[in-house]
Amino acid sequence: MGGQKKTIGFTLNGRRVAADIGVHQNLTEVLQEEFGLFGARESCGQGLCGCCTVLVNGIAVTSCLSLAAFADGADITTIEGIADGETLSAEQDAFIETGALQCGYCTPGFILMTKQLLDENPDPDDDAIMHYLSGNLCRCGAYPEILKAVKLAAQKRKAG
Amino acid sequence: MSPFELSEPQTLQDAVAMLDASDTGIRPIAGGTAVMLMMKTGIFQPDRLISLRGIESRYSEVSVDDAGDLHIGAMTPLRRLEKSEEAAQAAPVIRRALRRLSNVRVRNVATLGGHLAHGDPHLDLPPVLIALGARALIVGASGERVIEIEDLFRGYLETALAPDELIAEVVVPAQGTRRATYMKHTTRSADDWPALGIAVSLELNGDEVGSARVAIGAATDTPRRLKSVEAALAGKALADETMQAAGDAAAAEAEVHSDARGSAAYKRELIRVFTRRAVRQIMEMGTGGAV
Repeated sequence: MGGQKKTIGFTLNGRRVAADIGVHQNLTEVLQEEFGLFGARESCGQGLCGCCTVLVNGIAVTSCLSLAAFADGADITTIEGIADGETLSAEQDAFIETGALQCGYCTPGFILMTKQLLDENPDPDDDAIMHYLSGNLCRCGAYPEILKAVKLAAQKRKAG
Repeated sequence: MSPFELSEPQTLQDAVAMLDASDTGIRPIAGGTAVMLMMKTGIFQPDRLISLRGIESRYSEVSVDDAGDLHIGAMTPLRRLEKSEEAAQAAPVIRRALRRLSNVRVRNVATLGGHLAHGDPHLDLPPVLIALGARALIVGASGERVIEIEDLFRGYLETALAPDELIAEVVVPAQGTRRATYMKHTTRSADDWPALGIAVSLELNGDEVGSARVAIGAATDTPRRLKSVEAALAGKALADETMQAAGDAAAAEAEVHSDARGSAAYKRELIRVFTRRAVRQIMEMGTGGAV
């Protein structure tokens, strides 16, 4: 592999961590190889599918198009970090209750984008949901259920 | 991706100093969405990247000056520009165009400076900014210069930027009563790169076109103005014949190229139709102030 190395330190799902990485490595690779987190996975590799979504300082990014070096000092949340212990998040519960998945490969990305959408817009209509999630692809075609899941998650969040 | 070295300067001046006019293996990286794609496919294998992410925060800000000109720092993420009320007031067409530019995650990261410096003719904002008469402030080792956005693009992925120059800021002049629209036609998903993007800005005097600026992207080798269309619109009544003539002029002037999103012949028809539609859309906006 070779190339320049860098030691990065960041907050990962609420825990301070550090890793020695190659500056050419992307964030998906580093989350998988250094931390054993496989919820973010590279699928299209081009920023179209959303399977590698993670939140960096609260903002959703395409981790396979992000240099891990840029994670230095950041606060990163992956799908593995959004449950509170054994209690799933409202978005996770909603996806399960509506059956908004088949194979589940795209689900972590959809759930993180749903969380981000509802942070920005607590009460989205179908158009707003479809617009916001247009960069997430579900090849099993669970889109109708995903629409229901987002709306159910919105209700659950409001109910607290 | 092939290994490379990474420098992370804290100022724009330091970043410029790290670039090298004679060494194209040293390149800047901002949001990185385009550069990462090129590196992953091996099209681009840099020796060293100069990250612009650590430079002064004022290059990520959006503001309007006393003259009403909109200043957009080159490191402003597209999503921040989309949400900016200042930008929406000064030139609402920018927000409307951004809604269909790629997806939220890419807009969260991609910067305006990177979007322009990439020089890809398929991107959405070059025609919009050309139609708005925008200019870029460029900083290089030998000082600063200002270039009209319409003069920035020289060829496919080629710009007027020297290897040791960076875009620092984009300025959209006050639009006064001008109204603008951007129409994007995609042949795959709605937020795909366009088969054609066309931006039209008109100054209207009652039912007559005072002056027009028209620019297209995605169908030609660079984003470009269509001056014959502007001439076909200037001083004419806003009637069907004017729109027809504008569409015909656009189809005749543009040197259209085929790509994966449409053949040249198809795109030429798109240009004819969408020029007409864009002018009609502005006409139908009514007189409710700058749009």
